[in-house]
Formats: sequence, structure tokens, C-alpha cells
Amino acid sequence: MRLSAFASVKLTIALMSLIAICILIGAWCPQEAQVGFQKVIDEFGESNALLLRQWGISDLFHTPFFLGLIGMITLNMIACSVQRVFPKARLMKQKMPFLGQREISKLTVTQEAGLRCPAATAMDALAQTLKKQGYSIAVKDGKLTGEWAKVSLLAATVTHIGLLSMLTGVTITSWTGFNGFKPVPPQGVLNFADSEHSKLWLGKLPKWSVRVDDTRREDYPSGDAKQWYSKLSVVDPSGKVLKTEEISVNNPLSYEGVDIYQSSWGLDSIRITFNGKPMELPLRQMGGANAAFLPLDEKTIMIFSLRGQDKPLRIFAKIPEWQQPKMLAEIPKGSVTSFGSVKVGYVKPIPMTGLQYKADPGLTVTFTAFYIIILGCLLAAFPFRQIWATAVDAGSGSCRLYVGGMSKKAKTGFSRSVSKNLKQLIAKFGEFIEPPSQDSLDLQDNDVQPMTAATQECSIPTGS
Amino acid sequence: MSDVQIALTNTAGISSVVSFWVFVGSNALSKKRDALVKAGQFVLLIGFAALTAAIIWRGFESGRFPLSNLYESLLWFAWGIMGGYLYIARAYDLKQLGWLASMTAAVFFLYGSWLPAGQHEIKPLVPALVSYWRQIHVPPLIISYAMFFIGGLSAFVQLWQAGRRRSVFLACAALAAGLSAIGLGTFTDTNTFLLQGLFIGGSLFGLSLAWSNVGRADEKHVNVERAELYDEVVYRSIMIGFPMLTIGIITGGLWANHAWGTYWSWDPKESMALATWLGYAAYIHLRIHHEASAEKLSLVAIGGMLLTVLTYLGFNSLGFGGLHSYGKFK
Repeated sequence: MRLSAFASVKLTIALMSLIAICILIGAWCPQEAQVGFQKVIDEFGESNALLLRQWGISDLFHTPFFLGLIGMITLNMIACSVQRVFPKARLMKQKMPFLGQREISKLTVTQEAGLRCPAATAMDALAQTLKKQGYSIAVKDGKLTGEWAKVSLLAATVTHIGLLSMLTGVTITSWTGFNGFKPVPPQGVLNFADSEHSKLWLGKLPKWSVRVDDTRREDYPSGDAKQWYSKLSVVDPSGKVLKTEEISVNNPLSYEGVDIYQSSWGLDSIRITFNGKPMELPLRQMGGANAAFLPLDEKTIMIFSLRGQDKPLRIFAKIPEWQQPKMLAEIPKGSVTSFGSVKVGYVKPIPMTGLQYKADPGLTVTFTAFYIIILGCLLAAFPFRQIWATAVDAGSGSCRLYVGGMSKKAKTGFSRSVSKNLKQLIAKFGEFIEPPSQDSLDLQDNDVQPMTAATQECSIPTGS
Repeated sequence: MSDVQIALTNTAGISSVVSFWVFVGSNALSKKRDALVKAGQFVLLIGFAALTAAIIWRGFESGRFPLSNLYESLLWFAWGIMGGYLYIARAYDLKQLGWLASMTAAVFFLYGSWLPAGQHEIKPLVPALVSYWRQIHVPPLIISYAMFFIGGLSAFVQLWQAGRRRSVFLACAALAAGLSAIGLGTFTDTNTFLLQGLFIGGSLFGLSLAWSNVGRADEKHVNVERAELYDEVVYRSIMIGFPMLTIGIITGGLWANHAWGTYWSWDPKESMALATWLGYAAYIHLRIHHEASAEKLSLVAIGGMLLTVLTYLGFNSLGFGGLHSYGKFK
């Protein structure tokens, strides 16, 4: 099949619409690849979730249908770029022809004015006004041409180059990059063995790993989290430290093309002693606190509540007869308290830092593409305007100035700016009104029909 | 919130309501239209200045860039609507759009004032928002939403001036369904699936009917010149909003890469923003290649406005989760 078969704007619009619909469906249904299938079950119930999985909606962005749409729009974009968009860049080189009064009167925007000054003066004044407005002007033999925002002709070309470059960057990353997430406790090690990458992968995993030396949370006075920090060491297989750095949210560590991000943070467990015996209890998020549970017998549960890394541990007990747990004690880190014959000690909380990592070899290309796309879209915001003018001496030091032009993107605004310029010139030189000739008077008397309601209605376009 | 900030914000809100009635008066009293339109614009300009001062004041009070929750974003949005309208009205000497723009600003002021008190208070930032990227990423998005709204409102006027009154009423019904869903989702505990159904169903049904009726012109009420003018206003508004949305999405990707190690996560909010971008990209392609009439383009712009509402407010009130959850208040 020839490439030109894909160079259809109608196809572009159809594909854009279909992709937008798919994306909205993907936004509505939690995506397994991002949040896991359990989230889909939580949202829709198990049977509906299974149905959504069967239809491919719970992992829509990896379905052959969606990937096919992306493939189609890529082909369409390449075809449109080569056949329609890139050739338009040649228009940048095209010079405007100088037009006379007759040609100017046929343009989409055309206006004229009589001025009490010679034609050359009127043309000079108009050229000065247009130059001040940012037009690039050329004058030859009493004829003027001007262009405004010609560079906007490149908008589509630049945007398409950006989009195609972005696809190149994404492809490079997909074939050579990797990423992953791992919760790591202090002194724990992050390696890249479990990382995710595409099936068509040509990359290499690093041999070095990252050790978490320490991790902490900084709070606002209100107790809300302000920042999370983790001190990391990059270590080689022999244990040699290659780099150390403290990371926080928005401040990653970078080493040999791999970036390590502070992604999340939480208290994982508490270390306590129970009658002198050390224990580690897992914490669960409960409201604004973390709680651990220790069943003492069939009826009695001991509950440990911790509101923050540096806060004291609160100990509660709960039996079925009590509606609410009863608080027994509050003990700071490193202390021991007694409940009759039972001694409970609070050693320390064990935090867990959530580390996100990625290697993205296509990033430079992708980011460059991002800036190119922004540039292209910004260029498109400026409407390209072309203006032509000529002036004819009308005797007794007066002239008629003819101005016309085109602006496909902003015709009305352009027309207003032309009439504003003419009004300014009239205000400067005074208006010259030509006396009607005998011929035109005869014409008015014999040929011109008064406009009736019927003719007015006929002139109104009715269809779309 | 300090008394000064409350006074400035209230001045802006009251100005939008007053200017709305002045603009309405300009339509009722055709002999004094020009004077009343100018008066309405002047009142709105006072509101715009007061809102600018309110936003700056809030920034000084909080000691940070004042754009971190829904309430603050609504202030920015109203600011964008007021400023965008004043700019475009001056460029095109518009007479009809003022009452719609001031009404939109007033509605958003009311919406913001009805949010829970916690939204109005200045609160510390969550770790994810402690970044200079916040002031690079969010303002272009809010300004783009405001410009798309102005484009959508102009599209209603364009259809009206083109005599497509039936399509105007049907598109209004679609917008009303969408905004009702947002309102119910924000202030009541209505089932989220019902709300999503109301938004999507109402929008699709209303716009489809409007599209099928767009060929029917009420010829007695056609004003070709004004229809052309407002068609251009729609296009110009979108051509300002589109690069802003592009910058917002891309800087969001750059920030996400900086903070989380990935520039795209198919998060609901970013997905919706991409769908909105594709919608407006389709509008631009349709327009440049003359694939649709001005009236059909206006309906596409109204559809884009509904997508903008979904992206901006639907995320909060229609039960979507994801990485942008710090924007939520429920």
C-alpha cells in the first residue's frame, strides 16, 4: 500500500477522535498496569472487573486495538508530514508579488481611502505604520507588500517534527530503558533484577546497587508531612561505595544514566520487647495513625498506635465487652512500661522508603521533541497576514490609497486592523472625497435597483 | 484568610455579578448599548484588578505561589476568564460576549465560595507539591481552560448569530447536564456512576442532537457578519488556549519525570488533559483544512469546553483517582 493512502486529514480526525474516546475510557476505569487489578475490583466489584478485563478495558493502553490506533496515527502523521506539511515550508522562500489596484480589489480583504496628500506620501506613511506594527515591508514602483508572522507558516512543520521526534525518543526508551519500584527499609538494598522493560529489549541492567543508609520524614508544625528524605549509597558488587547522596521528593539521585526517586514513604513496623523478648509488629495505616495488633488471648487484643516516627507509642487494649479500646499507656522511644506482670518496651519504628528508579536513554530526544512541539504550537497562535497597497494621485495634491490583504486564520481581526490604519491616515492627512463623475450619476439613475426586503433575504446564506 | 484578602476576593466576585447585569442591560436598551457595554467592561476591569491583587496578597500571606488547591485554582480560572474576555473584547470590539463571560466568572466565584472552609484556608503543601515546577506547570493549564471556556461561550454566540437557535438550546442542555453533574458531585453524596452517566450521557445526547440540527437555520435571525466575527473569536481563543494546554501537559511530564521518574503514567487527570488536547487538535485540523462549516466547528468547540470541564472539575467531583489526588477535597 502506498504511503499517500494514509495522508488524509479526515483519517487524522477520525483517529484522533477514537484515541480520545479510548483515553477517556482508560481514565474512567482504573488501569491494571498502573494501580493493579485489585483497584478495579474495589471500584466495580469482582464480576464486573472480570468482565472489564475480558473486554480489555482494565488494561486498555496495552490492547492490540489501542496500539493499532497509535500505529495508524503514526503512519498517518508520517504520510501527512511528508506529503502535505513539510512541503509547505517552501512557502517561507516565496516572495510576494507586487499588485496593482485591480488585483488588490479582488483580495478577500480590500479597502480604499481618499487622502489629501500625494500618493508617495501616503505610501510612506502607510509603510511606517505597518513597520511599527511588526510587518516586514517591501516597496517597488509605488506598490507595497507586507508580511506579518510569516514564521507561523512553519507551525505545522515544526509541530509534526516534534511529534515524530517524540515517537523516536519513546521508541529508543522502550527498546533500551527499564524502570521499577521497590520499598526498601534502612540498610536494605535496591537492585534492578526485578525491573520492568518491553519485550523487544536491547538494553543492559547495571551491576551496581543502591543501599539505603537512612530514611526520615520531616513534618510541618501541624504534623502533616513536609518532605521525605533517604540517604543512599551507590555500591559496586565488591561493596565499594561509588557515590552517596540524600534524595527527597523532586530531588533524585542520578548515576550512570539511572535515576533513583523518592516516591513514597511510610512506617512499616515497630520493634518492641514483650517481657524482654524482642518482637517486630507490622504497622497498618488507620486514619492519621499507624497501628499494630498483638492478640494476647482469644478475647484480648493489645493495640499499638504510632502517629509519627518521633512520636511516643500509645498502647491500647480491647476486649469484646468494651465498645472502644482503652488506652493503657504512652511510652517514648527506648522506654519500658509495666502492666502488672507484663513489661512492654518500645525500641524503635522501622520506616520504609519507596524508591522509584528508571533508565531512559531516549529522554534527551523526547525532551527536545517536547520543546519543539511547544514551539510549533506557539507559532500556530500567530496568524500569518499578507498586505498589499498602492496609491494613485487624484490631482490637486490628493490621492486614493488601495489596501488589501489576506489572513486565513484571522480575517475579521485583520480587516479591522486595515480599517484602523486607514482611519489613522485620514486623521493625519484629511479625507479626500472625489466628486462623482457624470457617468456614475447616470448609472445610479438608470441601473441601480433599491435593495428590497426580498433581495436582502436572498443574499443571506442559508446552508452550512 | 485575612480580611484584606476576603475584601479583595469579594470585590472581584461582586464586580462580576454587577457587570453581568450591566451587560444584560446593554442588550435590553439598544440605544445605550455601546455606553453600557463600556460600563460593563469597566466594572469587570475593576474586578479583574481586585482579583489580581487578591491572588498576589494570598501569595504573600502563604509565603508560596498561590496555586495549590481547587479554591486557589478557581480564583486563577476566574482571573483568566475576566482577563481573557477583556483582551478579546478590546481586540474585536465585542458587544455580546460580556454577559456570558461575567456570568461564568460569577458562577465560578460562587462555586469557590461554597467549597468547604478548609479549601479557603492557607495550608502547608504536601511533599509532592514542594517544587518550583508547580508554578511552571499549573498556571498555563488554568489559563488554557479559561481560554477554551471563552472559545466555547463565543461558539454559543456564533451559533445564535448564524440562526442555529435549536442547536444553541440543545448544546445549552448538554452543558447544563455536565455542570449539574459537577455541582451534584461537589456538594452532595450522589452515586458517582450516576454522576458520570449524567455528565457523559447528557453531553453526548445533547451535542449529538445539536449536531443533527445544525443544518436548520432560522433565516430571520441570521447575521452573517457577526457569525463570522464570533467564529473567528472562537478560533483565536482556542489558538491561545491550545499552546497553553500543550505547555501545561509537557511541563507536567517534565515535572513528573523529575519527581517520580516517569513523564507519563496514564493517570486519569493527565489522560483527560490529553483527550482534551486531541479534541482541540481535531478542531484545528478541521478548521485549517475547511472540513466543516463554522457552525459545526462551534459545536466541536462546545464539545471541547465540556472536555475541559471534565478535565478541570470532573476529576474532583466525578470520582476519579490517581496521582493528582492532592487536588481532591472529598
